[in-house]
Amino acid sequence: MLDLKGIYKWVNTGNNRTFILKDINLSVKEGEFVSIMGPSGSGKSTLLNIIGMLDEFNEGEYNFFHEPVHKLKEKQRSALYKQYIGFVFQAYHLIDELTVYENIETPLIYQDIKASERKAMVADILDRFNIVGKKDLFPTQLSGGQQQLVGIARALIAKPRLILADEPTGNLNSKQGEEIMGLFSELNKEGVAIIQVTHSEKNASYGSKVINLLDGRIQ
Amino acid sequence: MIKHYLKTAWRNLLRQGSSSFINIGGLSIGMAAAILIFLWVKNEFTFDNYHKDANQVYRVKNYLAINKNDTWVWETSPYLLGENAKQQIPEVLNMCRISPMGWGAQHFNIKGQFYAEEACAYVDSEWFNVFDYKFIHGNPSDFNQHPFSLILTESKSKKYFGNDDPVGRVIRMDTVDYQVRGVIKDNPVNSSFQFDVLIPLAARTSNPGNKKNDESWGNFNYLTFLKLVPSADPVKVAAKLKAIIARQRDEDNLQVGLIGLQDLRFENDLQQSVMQHSDKQVTYIFAALGILLLLIACINYVNLTTARAMLRAKEVSIKKIVGAEKRQLFIQFITEAVMISLLALLLTLCITQLALPLFNKFTEKNFTLSFTSPGLWLVIGGTLLVTILLTSIYPAVLLSSFKPLSVFRGVNILKVKNASLRKGLVVVQFSISIVLIVGTIVMYRQLQFINRQNTAYDRSQLMSFFVPYKILGKYEKDMRPQLTGSVKKELISETSIEDVSVLNQGSVINMDGFSSGDSNDWDGREKDFTPAIGFFYADTSFKKILNLEMKEGRWYETGNVSDKHNSILNETAVREFNIRKPVIGQRFVSQGDTGVIIGVVKDFFYKSLHEKIGPVVIRIENEYNSNFLVKTAPGKIIAATESAEKVWKKFFPAEPFSYKFLNEEFDKLYHADRKVSVLIWIFSGIAIFISCLGLFGLAAFTAERRVKEIGIRKILGAGVPNIVSLLSREFVYMVLLSMVIAFPVAWLAMNKWLQNFAYKINIAWWIFLVAAVIALAIALLTISYQAIKAAIANPVKSLRTE
Repeated sequence: MLDLKGIYKWVNTGNNRTFILKDINLSVKEGEFVSIMGPSGSGKSTLLNIIGMLDEFNEGEYNFFHEPVHKLKEKQRSALYKQYIGFVFQAYHLIDELTVYENIETPLIYQDIKASERKAMVADILDRFNIVGKKDLFPTQLSGGQQQLVGIARALIAKPRLILADEPTGNLNSKQGEEIMGLFSELNKEGVAIIQVTHSEKNASYGSKVINLLDGRIQ
Repeated sequence: MIKHYLKTAWRNLLRQGSSSFINIGGLSIGMAAAILIFLWVKNEFTFDNYHKDANQVYRVKNYLAINKNDTWVWETSPYLLGENAKQQIPEVLNMCRISPMGWGAQHFNIKGQFYAEEACAYVDSEWFNVFDYKFIHGNPSDFNQHPFSLILTESKSKKYFGNDDPVGRVIRMDTVDYQVRGVIKDNPVNSSFQFDVLIPLAARTSNPGNKKNDESWGNFNYLTFLKLVPSADPVKVAAKLKAIIARQRDEDNLQVGLIGLQDLRFENDLQQSVMQHSDKQVTYIFAALGILLLLIACINYVNLTTARAMLRAKEVSIKKIVGAEKRQLFIQFITEAVMISLLALLLTLCITQLALPLFNKFTEKNFTLSFTSPGLWLVIGGTLLVTILLTSIYPAVLLSSFKPLSVFRGVNILKVKNASLRKGLVVVQFSISIVLIVGTIVMYRQLQFINRQNTAYDRSQLMSFFVPYKILGKYEKDMRPQLTGSVKKELISETSIEDVSVLNQGSVINMDGFSSGDSNDWDGREKDFTPAIGFFYADTSFKKILNLEMKEGRWYETGNVSDKHNSILNETAVREFNIRKPVIGQRFVSQGDTGVIIGVVKDFFYKSLHEKIGPVVIRIENEYNSNFLVKTAPGKIIAATESAEKVWKKFFPAEPFSYKFLNEEFDKLYHADRKVSVLIWIFSGIAIFISCLGLFGLAAFTAERRVKEIGIRKILGAGVPNIVSLLSREFVYMVLLSMVIAFPVAWLAMNKWLQNFAYKINIAWWIFLVAAVIALAIALLTISYQAIKAAIANPVKSLRTE
């Protein structure tokens, strides 16, 4: 599904070049559940963002569904991730001005899906996540676990092939965290590939493959 | 999709309560002010354009060279010129004339009740063919067929006859009955002809004396309008007109011109005019001020929106990550700006509607917000379009251009560039405000100065009235001084009246009678030097009433018969005429009457301070003296008017008594100047208010953004004053920078304005200091609320939220 070859990313600070990622080679197949682990500052999130095409790299090749991402223009890249990738964040990143329903609906709006169709899709997912009763609430009226549930629902609404989750349970208590991880493995069984960044061995154990990063290098 | 945008925008609006209020409120005030101004400006530029074929109608204009330096420009022409033009010049399709009736008000007698009516005019039978009027009752042909007819405007008809059809009713003027033949719709606000009562010219010429007088080619009494064929060249027609007049004149000192009907409003070279004119430059300045106010208001929107970009950044980033394209976000923010503008427009229309009565009172016009008129929508639409353009594009570009990740990483999206743009905009706002503050002060000072200049006598204690010529003319010439003398004597005998002077000039505030020519002579005059001289024919009391001071020589003495041929000059006359020394005793011929100069008075003001004091010659007594200048005893103003009326009734029982006080006349003279100064005052008020709204919002934002820094500083020991000055400093610099920009602009602008006055103040340095203090104080007051609020907040709380 995706294939990273010799990815380097650095920033220039004064005369020094600080490497964030060094020679990353990684391939993920469809339906895989990969966990990226490593201490703070090891480059986990950067790697995830590069995979999600939100961030750029300085050197190397990245193929996503046989598309050479490193050669694409921004517009083509965003069209690509819009179609295939769903994002889940540690801090949920829901839009405060929108209700649960509208938050989940947002990606569909930007994919020019008809209103009637959108309604059906959102209703489905609300039902599946058991949050129908909360659809008219605003994010601030929800608990952290519920917000993350909405975040995942939003990531899934457009039927992505890959979910990128940046410490999805980081802001949650352990019970909420377990629920979310349970949901991820369920999704994974349905064939959605998942790449998560996590600090927790326990969360990593839900996945099929663990990648350890240290100082920007895969160990 | 649009629904989604609007929903987001609406919720954002509600969530940012105060900021939205500032945005919409400020925008509305600015838009309301702009719409009112544009209504007025549009009106000025569309004067007289509603008549059919308005671009084919011209008015004859005469330039009379009175000496080698001075030319008098008249809007009036000889009566016969029009007819001759129509007969002899093929380009002239039609011709019509108008002549306003007499000096002062006409007195209408309706069933024994007297009413004073100012705006009456004679028009000839073609008037209604050349100009468009809407008749409510009656028709022009009845009016044209009967000389003693009247046409009233709708509101005058209501005033005199209520809602009835007044056609056939009778109004008596003097001893003649006039029948109402028609009622026309009120004159449009953009009409130069603001006459409420029209009477056939035939009524005037039915008097053989008038007819003879009018038919003399030397009398210029009629405004003559010509309708030309579309292809006519007005310059060539004017030359033909000149040829017609030249045949009737001995001297070749007259030029003839034509001015287009739609240019009448801005005609500015006339000696005097019966129509209201306005200054094109002033109109442009007001249009510019309207745009500036709108600009200031729009700057607020841009400033607050971009300042709040941080808060919107998260939303934008998420939307981008879930798949929004830049274009879609751009449209979202444009939609938002349009929505805010439309909301502001709603509020604007409310404000405009509420302010309209005041505005009408102020402009002395009758503007209405008729929502069916395309003109109004043009103004509103234009204002809205400008607002939307100014408020939408930049914020939309900025907000839709975030890189999504930087927000989450905590990188400040608002780079230095954006901050300096915002600051720049605040500087622009304050610069405009400061220019207006300086303008307000300078104008106020100049008007004060005018008031102070003319204080030789107390204007509020002087009243004036005149005996109409129709009464005086019935007396033999040598009997007239006797008549006025006995009126004067009777007046002085009243205890409420201190002194009375009888003179030839109707006004000592804005005297407009001048004469020139060879009949004025003195030793050493060059043959072709025939200056325009202001002649006062007065009496011995004149000096005391006006508190004139002698520079040398003496004033007229009672009973000195030889003084009848003598003259008193003002200083300017002595200087400009180059009178030989010693001045006193020099031979002086005034208006053909030879005598000597017996005295020189110090220059005194007798006309508007816009003009320089000219040469004045004061003489004593004249059979044409019919104007009374009455000095009331202190504190007995009411009693004095009653006494004067009593005396008047005794001498002229059939004639209504009307008088005016000199302070009213004075106020009228500077009416336009005062209006402009009040307008600038209002503008600067609005500009400052809107700018402060913006500053307030921006200060709130700064305090919010630096809340962590403030918390840390407080923990490290900073006190409230330190924090307040930390937050205010930046804004003080901005206001200081505004001053650097504003002062030269203000100085240039006000210098230009003062050029309109012959007597003017200097723009003192302290005016700028005052403006600076005002601007700084207002800015600091605005900021300090936010700064103090931030400074006294508990740091632990602010740091915990991080």
